[in-house]
Amino acid sequence: MEKKDIIQSFKDSLFTGLIALALFGPIVGLRTVSKGEGLFIAPQWGVVFLLVGLCILGRFLININSARKTEFKIFSSLSSKFSSITEDKAKHFAITGILFAVVFPFLPFTDRYFMDVAIMILTYIMLGWGLNIVVGLAGLLDLGYVAFYAVGAYSYALIATTFGWSFWICLPLAGVFAAFFGILLGFPVLRLRGDYLAIVTLGFGEIIRIILINWYEVTNGPDGITGIPRPSFFGLPFKRSPDEGETSFHLFFNLEYSTMHRIIFLYYLILVLALITNYFTLKIRKLPVGRAWEALREDEIACKSLGVNPTNTKLTAFAIGAMFGGFAGSFFATRQAFISPESFTFIESAIIVAIVVLGGMGSQTGVVLASIFLIGITEMFRDLEQYRMIAFGGAMVLIMVFKPKGILANRKPTILMHGDKK
Amino acid sequence: MSNLLSVENLTMKFGGLTAIDDLSFDAKNNQITSIIGPNGAGKTTVFNCLTGFYKPTNGQMFLHKEDSKISLRKYTDFKIAYVAKVARTFQNIRLFPAMSVLENLLVAQHNELMVASGYSLFGLLNLKTYRDKERLAVDKAKYWLDIIGLTHRADDNAGDLPYGDQRKLEIVRAMCIEPRLLCLDEPAAGLNPKESAELNKLLKFIKTDKQTGILLIEHDMSVVMGISDHVVVLNYGKKIFEGTAEQTKNSNEVIEAYLGVDE
Repeated sequence: MEKKDIIQSFKDSLFTGLIALALFGPIVGLRTVSKGEGLFIAPQWGVVFLLVGLCILGRFLININSARKTEFKIFSSLSSKFSSITEDKAKHFAITGILFAVVFPFLPFTDRYFMDVAIMILTYIMLGWGLNIVVGLAGLLDLGYVAFYAVGAYSYALIATTFGWSFWICLPLAGVFAAFFGILLGFPVLRLRGDYLAIVTLGFGEIIRIILINWYEVTNGPDGITGIPRPSFFGLPFKRSPDEGETSFHLFFNLEYSTMHRIIFLYYLILVLALITNYFTLKIRKLPVGRAWEALREDEIACKSLGVNPTNTKLTAFAIGAMFGGFAGSFFATRQAFISPESFTFIESAIIVAIVVLGGMGSQTGVVLASIFLIGITEMFRDLEQYRMIAFGGAMVLIMVFKPKGILANRKPTILMHGDKK
Repeated sequence: MSNLLSVENLTMKFGGLTAIDDLSFDAKNNQITSIIGPNGAGKTTVFNCLTGFYKPTNGQMFLHKEDSKISLRKYTDFKIAYVAKVARTFQNIRLFPAMSVLENLLVAQHNELMVASGYSLFGLLNLKTYRDKERLAVDKAKYWLDIIGLTHRADDNAGDLPYGDQRKLEIVRAMCIEPRLLCLDEPAAGLNPKESAELNKLLKFIKTDKQTGILLIEHDMSVVMGISDHVVVLNYGKKIFEGTAEQTKNSNEVIEAYLGVDE
């Protein structure tokens, strides 16, 4: 490493610091405080200089690292090692993961908070797996996936509160409704690709949300729907004192009443739903329709020249992806017991797309890792209030820098002629 | 020998530009018909009309089937390959690069497999009927891979193959839909002499053993002259000559179109 290089990278770092100052100065440095009668600005330059200093130092280290060529590239070698481990032992990894998920509620350190986070992560994993069909396999960038989540949640809530049907009847119905909306969205966007498709699906997501806000007679508008029935354990409700003629869960099994019972049940419910999604995706990927999805992602014109019907193929992808979104939505509704349009904003779509893309398009394990990483990190920093979004962004940047193709980007063929040699 | 394809008064205009002007020619069963001409003569446009990517401004294209004939104008898009059984390859190779070689060949058999899998229902239940059909499809893929000598690379990504192998793979992928007419757009582009010779062998095999009519666009004269039964020469969208390879070589019009006229 020459002196010239050091000076050069030092200059570069100072320039980075300048940009950081321009950004952090107004955003972090000027803080508004309401005191007495008015709003005052309380500058916090200390934090700004700390952040700028960190940026300069970080940039300098990156510069030196890249100047040193191969011997010091810790990160790239680490990350390639990481993906080779998970590729080789994908099966073991999956089994250990599932086993861990099954025993998780009974581990000694697991408390209510951990369970809630785990349920949230599993919901996102399920949504990610559902969207993976549309984005990862069929290559249709859908930025309005939350619309199907909302359709599922609202259909469940409306059917359950109006007719009083049980969760197990409403769940498939919600899936059917969501799939129907998937086809509804699919038709107008069939001819669009790439950026254009993304914009239209984004619009669709917003349309659904705005309808939910304004169709007051049906959806109760921004007030949302309350009193959504909680799920029951095959007919046994989770209540401290059941209604007359009913037996509740803890009485039936002779247990001390605890709210954890319901939480644990919800946890297993979403775990099973997510695993069904995963199993279905893995299966259908190896069927002709799954291969046609991937072929469509690779080259639509070649598909047409081989007699593959692109319309039907795309519509099935939209419908099936939407159906799983609907299932996840009805789970969300029954878990919260209250839904409002607030829960289905664009940021949710963005998070789900981020999970799929950062996980490595089409990779099922990648979705799990990305969900744990993104949602978990964001949760860990919950005490920092709105600053936790910095953690979310930081996690995204880290993945983009070190694994630009996603955490697990390797695709395995759906069928092998020579068997599994490697 | 009977006619397989007849093109009658085909005209294609893009705004003010006439890409194909009143073109008529026939292609016969079990023959290789080449379309040649200088760059911009409208050769690929003819293909795009035949395979449903463009809708011609005027004219008819018929595919003869025993006693009946079907009009290709009626079919658009994927139906040309699915119903009329006209397959094509592309000037710039269009494989599914991130999918394996075997998967590429299975996508070409999509419609049969789709029916066999009961539109995914039987496949999800893993019924034997579907598994048997899938095995047959793999056997068919293996048959073609043996012919082009790529069986050992069946599980590799198509995009990782060398250029010449990608060309051959695209041709056999088109053959997997069991076409009656195979349209090849410059299959020898970018191939070295050895690979061109192999290509000639493959095309002759398809013509005689598979009883498939081939329509060929090509600039490589060693390929055109070596294997064509019939040559159609285009210039500025018009047919300027039609005949056997030998006749074409000696035609003054063709030489003028390629090399220009003496002052």
